[in-house]
Amino acid sequence: MIVRQLCVRQSRQLRALPRQSRILARFSSTETTFQTPVQTPIAEPGSRLETPSPSVAVPEPVRSDANKDLDKGLARKIQFHSLGSDVTGVYLPKSLLKYPPKATDVTLEMLLASQTHLGHSTSRWNPQNSRYIFGIREGVHIISLDQTAAYLRRAAKVVEEVAARGGLILFAGTRKGQKRIVVTAAELAQGYHIFERWIPGSLTNGEQILGHCEKKIVNGLDDEMKIWQEELAKYRSLKPDLVVCLNPIENVVLLHECGLNNVPTIGIIDTDADPTRVTYPIPANDDSLRSVTLIAGVLGRAGQAGQERRLKEAREGRLTYQAMDKLSVPAEEKESPAGTPSAATTEEPTRKSRTKDEDDD
Amino acid sequence: MAWQSPNGLVHAMHSIRRAAQLRPFLQRSVISASPISSPSTPAGLRQRMSARGYATELEPVAAAPINLAEFQAKPARIVPASAAYFSGSPKFIDHMLKLEALLARYASLPTVSPSEAPRMAWFKLLQFRDVVGEPVPTKKYKALVKLLQRLNRINPSVAPEEVRSALSLFLRPGNPYGIKPAPATVDEQGRARGKGKRKASSAVVHLVEGEGEVLVNGKTLNEVFPRLHDRESAVWPLRCTSRLDKYNVWATVQGGGVTGQAEAITLAVARALLVHEPGLKPILRKAGVITVDARRVERKKPGHVKARKMPTWVKR
Repeated sequence: MIVRQLCVRQSRQLRALPRQSRILARFSSTETTFQTPVQTPIAEPGSRLETPSPSVAVPEPVRSDANKDLDKGLARKIQFHSLGSDVTGVYLPKSLLKYPPKATDVTLEMLLASQTHLGHSTSRWNPQNSRYIFGIREGVHIISLDQTAAYLRRAAKVVEEVAARGGLILFAGTRKGQKRIVVTAAELAQGYHIFERWIPGSLTNGEQILGHCEKKIVNGLDDEMKIWQEELAKYRSLKPDLVVCLNPIENVVLLHECGLNNVPTIGIIDTDADPTRVTYPIPANDDSLRSVTLIAGVLGRAGQAGQERRLKEAREGRLTYQAMDKLSVPAEEKESPAGTPSAATTEEPTRKSRTKDEDDD
Repeated sequence: MAWQSPNGLVHAMHSIRRAAQLRPFLQRSVISASPISSPSTPAGLRQRMSARGYATELEPVAAAPINLAEFQAKPARIVPASAAYFSGSPKFIDHMLKLEALLARYASLPTVSPSEAPRMAWFKLLQFRDVVGEPVPTKKYKALVKLLQRLNRINPSVAPEEVRSALSLFLRPGNPYGIKPAPATVDEQGRARGKGKRKASSAVVHLVEGEGEVLVNGKTLNEVFPRLHDRESAVWPLRCTSRLDKYNVWATVQGGGVTGQAEAITLAVARALLVHEPGLKPILRKAGVITVDARRVERKKPGHVKARKMPTWVKR
């Protein structure tokens, strides 16, 4: 009994008035109550709880039912928010989405915790992936996380360099549940997103499919300029300079079009996917949203770093890419567009990073 | 400074000579800097880098100030106006994402039941397509309207301005729910006009105060409705309020059969009576004469004999 009393007295939960009775109920046995030792600290928390109330204060005279509900909810939050233990080292589903790590911060433990190592059933494997596979566990291929980390870092580098040179980066993830992931990554990297179906022909027949979508002319600091509006409307549809595909298996058409248009691609390659479909494979699990969140987040962060670098250069008066000189490029001349950072500018970083990676390997 | 020692003198002469050599380059660099399309490093910087000697000998020329105004005035590249450019319907997706973000932010606000929420006239699908200029499919627009309705259910007393302004973007111009028909009145000749429909018939009734005469299409009630039940139902609003001898009825009715015409007259008489005496509404409501019967003949379907009847099964 004495021990019980001590416990109750020391617990932090006692500081909350409404909870007290519940705790007592839990500890109560046949005895009814103990009055003196427990009751004393009650006055103090009451006053403590009243102090934050000014921040909640809602104008008194108009108190509709809705306001009352709101007050109640906020008051409850303030009352109980500081109580309880601090739980650490647990998986918070939204943390990866909100605070994606940089490529340099990615650890093998993080990759493992995000289930990036889980491949497919061994019977479904694509033998071209054998070099990324670590082994077999319970009939499932396990992807080598060393490889995943290395390829992820390389892909992040590619994204960063393309962003730093003003390229258009398209994030495509058309599976169910990938919408938030794709949009967040695209927002970070100031890129573009696709979370519904890729319309076949958006690259090969862009005039028809993307012709009505608006374009704009920006200066080096990304401020919109209202010039050459008529020419701009007639200008050919735009093509991405890099495509990040989170589910290459379903997006065969997208990757095919990218191949036809010489657009480099990054893809999450699971053990059943064809790694030759993408330019820069990232061997990882593409079926787990958690794994995809991590990878897309890392790439988004890399894009963000690249954009920051580009804008910093621009503020100092330097362009990291070749500026457009005129917009008089006829619509039919598709091989050497002067407007967007063309293949020449985007291929440079990719080639560079590829050689660098080969050196690393 | 440099002139004070013989060594310094040599250095100074040297620097003057180099400066003379540089002059044509410097002049050229001024010319080449003028065209707009030179995004690379300024020419002056390159010159200085190549002509680097002793730190003291060449008077360091400060770089020209960055003309940010000129930099900003130079078009650099063409980019899509929206992050959803490659989806083919960027405006719709931008709207969708914006509404979803709003809902995520204000999901915890108290809501009212759908019937209590303010009635909003959202764009019809075709209007919405015109507004965004994209071929939005029905299913996707329904999803958008669902989001709008959820946002609209936020209790109006706490709904943020942000939400209200976002919702107002999707409202049809004008206020279709604000248009109320003018209340009907008795005209200068003491007539109240009422219209009614039932089945395929439609009736217009003029009701005047009188002695209980009823004319339907210029004929008496007995001539038009041989069946007692129809005669009863035609003047039922007057009978159930015991006003049968206080009003004269002048009805024109067309279309449909006898029952339909009689019951169309019922509705029309009830409505006209309400113009004279609005206080009778509860009684008439209870008598069931101002409730519109909206049932119409169900269409015949292919493969059926009638609307629902199937042909008899025959063995062979």
